[in-house]
Amino acid sequence: MKYGSTEKLLRVNLTTGAVKIETLDDELYRLYPGGKALAAYLLIKQLPAHADPLGQDNRLVIANGLLTGAPFSTASRFTIAALSPLTGGYGESEAGGFWGPELKNAGFEAILVEGQSPHPVYLWVADGQAELRDARHLWGREPAAVQAAIREELRDDLIRVLQIGLGGENRIRYAAVTSDLRHFNGRNGMGAVFGSKNLKAIAVRGHGRYLDLAYDPRGLIELGRLLARQIKEHPLGWDLYDKGTPGILGGLNASGILPTRNFHAGVFEGVDDIKWEAYQSKILTARRSCYACAVRCKRAVEVTEGPYRVSETYGGPEYEAVAGFGSNCGISNLEAIALANELCNRFTLDTISTSATIAFAMECFEHGLLTPGQTGGLDLCFGNVDAMLRLIEKIATREGLGDLLAEGSARAARVIGGEAPFFTIEVKGQELSMHDPRGKVAVGIGFAVSEIGADHLVSFHDTLLQNPDSVSFKGATALGISKALPARELSPEKVRTFWIGENWSSFEKTVGLCYFGPAPRSFIQVNEVLQAMRLATGRELNVQDLLTIGERATNLARVLNVREGFTSAKDRLPERMFAPLEAGALKGVAISRSDFQEALQQLYLLKGWDPQTGIPTRQRLEALALGWCTDWIGAT
Amino acid sequence: MELHLGGHLNYYDAQHRNRLELHLQEPLSLNALLLQLNIPRCEVMLVVVNGELASQANPLLVNGDRLDLYSSVGGG
Repeated sequence: MKYGSTEKLLRVNLTTGAVKIETLDDELYRLYPGGKALAAYLLIKQLPAHADPLGQDNRLVIANGLLTGAPFSTASRFTIAALSPLTGGYGESEAGGFWGPELKNAGFEAILVEGQSPHPVYLWVADGQAELRDARHLWGREPAAVQAAIREELRDDLIRVLQIGLGGENRIRYAAVTSDLRHFNGRNGMGAVFGSKNLKAIAVRGHGRYLDLAYDPRGLIELGRLLARQIKEHPLGWDLYDKGTPGILGGLNASGILPTRNFHAGVFEGVDDIKWEAYQSKILTARRSCYACAVRCKRAVEVTEGPYRVSETYGGPEYEAVAGFGSNCGISNLEAIALANELCNRFTLDTISTSATIAFAMECFEHGLLTPGQTGGLDLCFGNVDAMLRLIEKIATREGLGDLLAEGSARAARVIGGEAPFFTIEVKGQELSMHDPRGKVAVGIGFAVSEIGADHLVSFHDTLLQNPDSVSFKGATALGISKALPARELSPEKVRTFWIGENWSSFEKTVGLCYFGPAPRSFIQVNEVLQAMRLATGRELNVQDLLTIGERATNLARVLNVREGFTSAKDRLPERMFAPLEAGALKGVAISRSDFQEALQQLYLLKGWDPQTGIPTRQRLEALALGWCTDWIGAT
Repeated sequence: MELHLGGHLNYYDAQHRNRLELHLQEPLSLNALLLQLNIPRCEVMLVVVNGELASQANPLLVNGDRLDLYSSVGGG
């Protein structure tokens, strides 16, 4: 028995309607213990080269991590992966919540979806069984109604529903997938892939227990209790409970790196109206949790008066949504920002790409590249709340300008022409999350090299590792990080720190741990992660073993991108990052283009990639037990 | 003096307050104030005095100042 794993893969062919249960090979699962690694492995093995991301040949993988569903805080994550309709390359998005653990309890590690259904369907998975069911009556309906209808249809109120809304049905290239209405696999357009396959939802119910899979269930229970106590005794864990992600907004503004008006500035004049203290006093109603997690970083919000009313149904805005629809669109109305977040969640649109695409459109409008005639009469200036809200609806329904913006800012810019491509803030087609690399350069390296396009959970944020005496830095030393570095230093030592962080983050995504669990971002120490792996699997692993698991997953995703024709030219930053910030504490600061290119070269060498092409070398792939894919990509 | 504790710094206040009103008997250095409040200096990444980033590592504070302190910002 593979401890920690159900050993089962569910293969679903939507074209034929066939549903098949397969057994995951033990050795395979050791190399790719779920999540990102297993998803990348299955994709590269099953996906034909150069498939249309929105066609029937694309594959969709939903994969739990080895620790997903273990009874301790932050072990609830699962991965959705496919060829991304936004980037054209490896697409992936993680989420927490309750759906992943429920799938594990239902007896499955992963689901592989092939083909395309002739009509809308949903997949029903329960205790080792699965079947496809007609979803024509659910198509076009909102997530809350769909969840209620499925639970009623299957007569079980505890069913967990993973689904798409209008954004996925209309194949918005950055459509998200939601579970329990409040948790989101937001990035890379995985919702559009669901929609293209006519797959409306996956409903799961399981009566199994992770503890029955674990090598040492008593030990895991004890560890869970210990970690639950530690959260409130650790400043970073406690802070995530207290404020959640919106708590970082004020500090970023003071540091001069709060994205403002499409990343022109790093300081926002309306910050007092949208930062944590305002959030807490104006809209916060409750703190919510993911499976077995005592951090409770999720916010619930409500607005019952005024023009922008919001219910608790679809959860509260994270930092990304507050900054994205707030400062980056020049908007300081927190209730309207909460409504923008709710609209995205109802339509299942990624809040990051939606808000960034709107900010891009606002800049185009202010420069006369989009006219009122093209916007349908919307005065799309920065700061126009009602125009922003209306545009979200237009995107979800592909109405007018919304149809163009539904393709993402990079594609839209090519159609709009003129200076528009210079106003896009994206990498590999995916819009930047709300973090400015001019103030934390390793985040910029992550934006550039990430296989999924710009994303902020690729490695450590530089700001955490500046002071050798800080709680966060001390948490990172067990990973082999020995030198605290200024946030804007771009040195070989910083590149090495980035690489360690990239492997660590990739490991977390593989085994199903949240970014907010392990150090240095939060409270679980590295030795406790090792302990969790031992208690779950019975295997004694060391830190390097865990980093290698992460590195293997990252390389697999890179191999898939190389196969799809990606070159090192795609490892870049938006032009704006090489221009000075216009205001704030870092006014005048820009990234040096030559220093950044040099850092990328250093990183390629460190990773064992060809310094010119960025292709993983044969030697490195073989060292990672990935020799089997060298010939596919011309590794030398 | 008005003190704002940003990021995780209010963890160190017994009542987890974000904002405190303090009366200083006499001018006090930042480090001395942090010592009084049991806030580790190493967790304070950004010091803003009266709306301006502090140019000194250990500025002198007087009654009437508005002091904003921020911890490191980790992302997510």
